[in-house]
Amino acid sequence: MNIETFKYDNRIVRAFAIATVVWGIVGMLVGLLAAVELFFPGANLNFQFITFGRIRPLHTNAVIFAFVGNGMFMGIYYSLQRLCKARMFSDFLSWFNFWGWQLIIVAAAVTLPLGFTTSKEYAELEWPIKVAIAVVWVAFAVNLFGTIVKRREKHMYVAIWFFISTAITITVLHVTNSMTMPAGLFKSYSMYAGVQDALVQWWYGHNAVAFFLTTPYLGLMYYFLPKAAGRPVFSYRLSIIHFWALVFLYIWAGPHHLLYTALPDWAQSLGMVFSLMLIAPSWGGMLNGLLTLRGAWDKVRQDPVLKFMVAAVTAYGMSTLEGPLMSIKTVNSLSHYTDWTIAHAHGGALGWNGFLTFSMLYYLFPRLYKTQLWSTKLANYHFWIGMLGIIFYIVPIYVAGITEGLMWKQFNKDGFLQYPNFLESIVQVVPMFRLRAIGGTLYLVGAFLMAYNLYRTAKAGQFEPDTEAQAPALEKTSEAPDGKYAFHRLLEGKPMFFTVLAIVAILVGGMVEIIPMFLIQANVPTIASVKPYTPLEVLGRDIYIREGCLGCHSQMIRPFRSETERYGDYSKAGEYVYDHPFLWGSERKGPDLAREGGRYPNAWHFNHMDNPRATSPGSIMPQYSWLLTQQMDREALPARLAALRRVGVPYPAGFENGPAQKDLDAQAAKVVADLKLGSVTCAPDKEIVALIAYLQRLGTDIKSAPVTTAAK
Amino acid sequence: MEEKIICSMNGVAIYGIISICIFVAFFTGMLVWAFTKKASYLDKMGGLPLDSGEINSSANKTSNPK
Repeated sequence: MNIETFKYDNRIVRAFAIATVVWGIVGMLVGLLAAVELFFPGANLNFQFITFGRIRPLHTNAVIFAFVGNGMFMGIYYSLQRLCKARMFSDFLSWFNFWGWQLIIVAAAVTLPLGFTTSKEYAELEWPIKVAIAVVWVAFAVNLFGTIVKRREKHMYVAIWFFISTAITITVLHVTNSMTMPAGLFKSYSMYAGVQDALVQWWYGHNAVAFFLTTPYLGLMYYFLPKAAGRPVFSYRLSIIHFWALVFLYIWAGPHHLLYTALPDWAQSLGMVFSLMLIAPSWGGMLNGLLTLRGAWDKVRQDPVLKFMVAAVTAYGMSTLEGPLMSIKTVNSLSHYTDWTIAHAHGGALGWNGFLTFSMLYYLFPRLYKTQLWSTKLANYHFWIGMLGIIFYIVPIYVAGITEGLMWKQFNKDGFLQYPNFLESIVQVVPMFRLRAIGGTLYLVGAFLMAYNLYRTAKAGQFEPDTEAQAPALEKTSEAPDGKYAFHRLLEGKPMFFTVLAIVAILVGGMVEIIPMFLIQANVPTIASVKPYTPLEVLGRDIYIREGCLGCHSQMIRPFRSETERYGDYSKAGEYVYDHPFLWGSERKGPDLAREGGRYPNAWHFNHMDNPRATSPGSIMPQYSWLLTQQMDREALPARLAALRRVGVPYPAGFENGPAQKDLDAQAAKVVADLKLGSVTCAPDKEIVALIAYLQRLGTDIKSAPVTTAAK
Repeated sequence: MEEKIICSMNGVAIYGIISICIFVAFFTGMLVWAFTKKASYLDKMGGLPLDSGEINSSANKTSNPK
């Protein structure tokens, strides 16, 4: 037997580990600022770049892609080498992956506060950054598969299957959801419109949670938990079933984000049923993780690594029970658009992803630096402070969410809405927002303690850049140093056959759901009175997107009496055919705006944007006074209208060269004249004029002629 | 409205049938496959993370009671 000696690359693991800690703290800090702005709207100091609407996507992107993303790469680069008994395929690709990813994060941190956003949740970054993400991700995938191909271990452990499913699925999701038409360097419009855009986005959004926050971390759980416990996983058979069932079922569940919306009912039901079925593999996985510790629970008392892991796996179990329950349509009718969703997301993020990342960091630093953890006691404090942080964060937000849901639905004995003013529900839950910020602060303090502990650990030890290892060479690898058989092995190796099966299993759900949605294009009932937005409204809509208004305002009235009483007729699929991208939103910190047009005079909107509390005492909306002074971007209009025409909006040819400008001037003059009637003086070229025009248009098409005709 | 969409889609029921068929076939195959694996294979696989091939591995000596 030919024993080979080789070296594991620890430098890349350390780089990702440091990035994980740094970006984790940054992401949590931004989250804390966002949390404070919810009960103290002046916390942005009237500085547009840190208003809630702009930093909310910054927070979600930082936590998902910067904190968890770097944590994922850290864990994969460490475990994959050891599971394959091989150094990473290419050091160049490893570092390309690292620096490319950090540059993308920096680009996101700059562009999102500037308002460059596509508005699609967890996919907000504009098209040049999306291209960069695809390139870096492919580099990672090549490195991953290259390492698997040159491995010395014949069998592929289940963790690697999870990594493979992550690499493949994220590629498919990212490419499909990123189909946009550029209208300048930092502006683009989704190729899809309305209902289709919503389905593709939430097929992506849901599966980004599944294949970015869950599958790679499950792979890491299956590696690091047995390592930390010093015993094999409870049942390898169960882990096989966990993997296949999970990757097969997950992809179908996306429509549960769109229950009771204008999405066709069959797609909603499919999403709900598959979500419920997800409980089985998820809990199988959780139990498999926890039972790995059978007979070793005394270690959990001693070892902070295991403490964090047990809490993380338990949080995974809680989140994956709660998620399916929230997918039941009746539960969803209460939970959707409320803070319940935020609580659910943070149970997963803080508990599952956060704690598992912390456990990996506590596991890795002493090993990378060939020393002991500087202070186990401090790590234990971190555990308990983090745990308290999660509880103080989540519990108030559950209370807030359920309170909101119940208040929105409550009728009095005469059959009228008990709380007709939306603001009443927000004022009611503001104390919960304060408590949530305390929870977030505790969690952040814990992260700082960890950073200090890891820093002292690193200082005390000696970094080992490469770890020497030995393993027998796999047959054929040694016979063909020129890689002649590499491809052959790729095909004949049984695990690779399973990889192909995994691709099929993952894609089938998406195909069954998405293909009919594209066929539906010819079947969606068109509404004759629904017309494309005017040039001024297009600019206004772009401002709405730039400011992240959809972070707090939905544009989708569900078919409940409580909603139609409050907002007007429920939303129809045909109303959104020119919405590139769709702006349905997923959260209401303010009222739905789908039928905002004509509800208030123009002057009201002007004053409301200048100071929301002047028109709505107690409002938590930020001031948007810069809209009153900044000039609208007229120069961008031709490119934007042309891009919209290319994605299917029927603007006449040449409209953008002249007629559009005249149209814009005429409509702006009307808005300004109307403002004057309300004692407001405003120049017609200010952004507020465009935004008012857009808001006054919302939902009015169907009000004027509510006749729908089913297309042939 | 939703009914109208469903009715206007030709043969929409086929998607439900296809879904259930794929589902049953996939899970049957997967369970048969998982339960026909030999115990020796499963034991070997389960033990893979514990052997990293590292020389002078200092496993599990990294906790400090301080």
